[in-house]
Amino acid sequence: MPSRSRKSPIAALFRLDLGELLAARSFWLLLAMIGPLVGQAFATAVASYGEVSGAGGGPAALAQGLSPLDGIVVPTFGAYDLAVTFLLPFVAIRLLAAERESGAALLLAQTPVSLPARLTVKLGVLGLGGLFAAVPGLLALALWHSYGGHLAWPETANVLLGHLLHALLAVGLAFAAAAVCRSSASAAIATLGLTVGGWALDFVAAGRSGWIAEAARFTPAAALRRFEQGELPLALILALLAASLGAIAFAAAEIDPFAGPTKRHFRAALAVLLAVGAIGAAASIRSGWDLAEDRRNSFPRADEAALARIAQPVRVRANLAAEDPRLTDLERNVLAKLRRVLPDFAVALEAESRSGLFDGEGYGEVWYQVGEKSAMLRSTTEPIVLAQIYELAGIAPPTADSADSADPDTAYPGYPLALAAAPGAAPLFYVAWPLAAGLTCFFRGRWRSK
Amino acid sequence: MTIAAPELLAVAGLGKSYGRRRVLDGVSFSVRPGEVLGLVGPNGAGKTTLFGCLAGLLPADAGRVADGVGRVLPPPGRRDLLFYLPDGILPWPEQRIDRLLFRWRDLWSASEARNQGPDLDALIERLGLSRLRGSVAGALSKGERKRFLLALALLSPQPLVLLDEPFDGLDLRQTRDVATLLRQVAAAGRTLFLSIHQLVDAGRVCDRFVMLSDGKVAGEGTLDALRGRAGCLEGSLEEVFLALT
Repeated sequence: MPSRSRKSPIAALFRLDLGELLAARSFWLLLAMIGPLVGQAFATAVASYGEVSGAGGGPAALAQGLSPLDGIVVPTFGAYDLAVTFLLPFVAIRLLAAERESGAALLLAQTPVSLPARLTVKLGVLGLGGLFAAVPGLLALALWHSYGGHLAWPETANVLLGHLLHALLAVGLAFAAAAVCRSSASAAIATLGLTVGGWALDFVAAGRSGWIAEAARFTPAAALRRFEQGELPLALILALLAASLGAIAFAAAEIDPFAGPTKRHFRAALAVLLAVGAIGAAASIRSGWDLAEDRRNSFPRADEAALARIAQPVRVRANLAAEDPRLTDLERNVLAKLRRVLPDFAVALEAESRSGLFDGEGYGEVWYQVGEKSAMLRSTTEPIVLAQIYELAGIAPPTADSADSADPDTAYPGYPLALAAAPGAAPLFYVAWPLAAGLTCFFRGRWRSK
Repeated sequence: MTIAAPELLAVAGLGKSYGRRRVLDGVSFSVRPGEVLGLVGPNGAGKTTLFGCLAGLLPADAGRVADGVGRVLPPPGRRDLLFYLPDGILPWPEQRIDRLLFRWRDLWSASEARNQGPDLDALIERLGLSRLRGSVAGALSKGERKRFLLALALLSPQPLVLLDEPFDGLDLRQTRDVATLLRQVAAAGRTLFLSIHQLVDAGRVCDRFVMLSDGKVAGEGTLDALRGRAGCLEGSLEEVFLALT
């Protein structure tokens, strides 16, 4: 057997873990499936986008309404939401649990490589695997670009960042589940349980205010939606990072072979408490950026400048039920934007039922309070609400001239592209990609066993 | 608190229970540099538990483990002194063993004691693994797997190596070859502590013995010393063991 030059311990561990990743059928399944999933999403998105752009002789929608972010990027990368939710956790669980089940963890614990370093290497290996898995999505963007489609890179990169943070959280939770469950199957069930729990929290919190609504803002699904809308909220980034690192620290505490059960559980609980504290602290941060090319998450810049001058607390009490579409409009057009610009802003929802059908006389009223002054509106239209807030705050609204001069790029042109189909997508995503993944897996197995 | 001892490792009053079952009870003995020490005892005597506790991978309920200068070693600190190879494991079953051995060797490349480990190529040759170099670990037979695991253990650089049932799964010729190899490793300066339930194998390779019965040390010393203690001066290790336990 030939001698080889020595590598560093971290490089050797990386190769060991990479070998484990490549030996995992779940990883190859993820790779093989992600191509058709992305392909299906992309082809459907291109066809729908082409249809509303007037392909096939149909009436075209207003160009300003045609955003590639909503029409192409978000649906295409929606395939990764599925993969991160249902496939990635199994890959991550296997990487940690197989080591324990095979006894490799006992051997590695006695090496000079520390436990945090071992988990970091696993993250790196999963990151490398994630890069491969990201290729179909990037190919879809390249195809769209080759068709002449428009892509605004800040908002596109923001969506990718959202998926990356979502994947990091999924890996963290999978590690945590693998650390406390005796078998991979139990860990998978626990991880899926957390996912379903997040969905349940989303559902229960819909149209509510208070702590439950605050908590629901940080579920993976809700967080991803904000990135998909072009928002880059600092609070959310920090909260997702804190949750992911907290879950990984929890896993590290629970699998430390040199600590007794009491010490392990204490450290794990401490990791959870610290993560919850960090998430709580992050939740109070209002800073963020609107990276959507159409600035859908922002008021016109002149209005933002005027609103930022309001030092008094602004409170909104909305007597609208969770399932009332007016509440959805109000949230999207007004409340979400006000949260970003007002330093002291809070919303309370007062309707008692979910539908609003049997609520009392004041149903539909929205009360705005600035300092000591308050007023009621039923409108959910942005200019009307802003005018009311300016009046309550006693400041002059920006004039049309100042709005135009301060905000020269408000007119979003829209990017119609009347394509009937996505040329080249079907053979690439349905045939070439799965075939390449399958053949690589097959020949790697044969080559490995020689 | 320290234990004054010139030995490589000194164990005092080690205890471990699983629920109400006392598995180790006041276990005390010492390990001397360069010797092959045998831990002998029937199945269920607590040998594997003792090794796990020594390595720090199982929390002991009582007792101390100290190094040669009497410093009490906390569990994470023991990995600088000793390496423990458990029995019945199959690490990285889907990877080729030649790559695993190279990577395992590289894991120790930053260790100060790395030069104490034997040459990898020579070790592979001595353990009869050359013809298996392209095999994945999971496809090895029981004996092949044991030899692969022994290679992993002997590649570690620690001065003391704990091997749990190193001859389990080996045929007669392999047992003899491995015993010879272990003797050579000890002669080169490393200390071996072997848990063996086959007393014939233990008698062939070990310099001294720790006899464990029902979680307690029934005797410690060379075969001659144990014979004297058991009162059967011509007895085999088996007869001595039966007399003492």
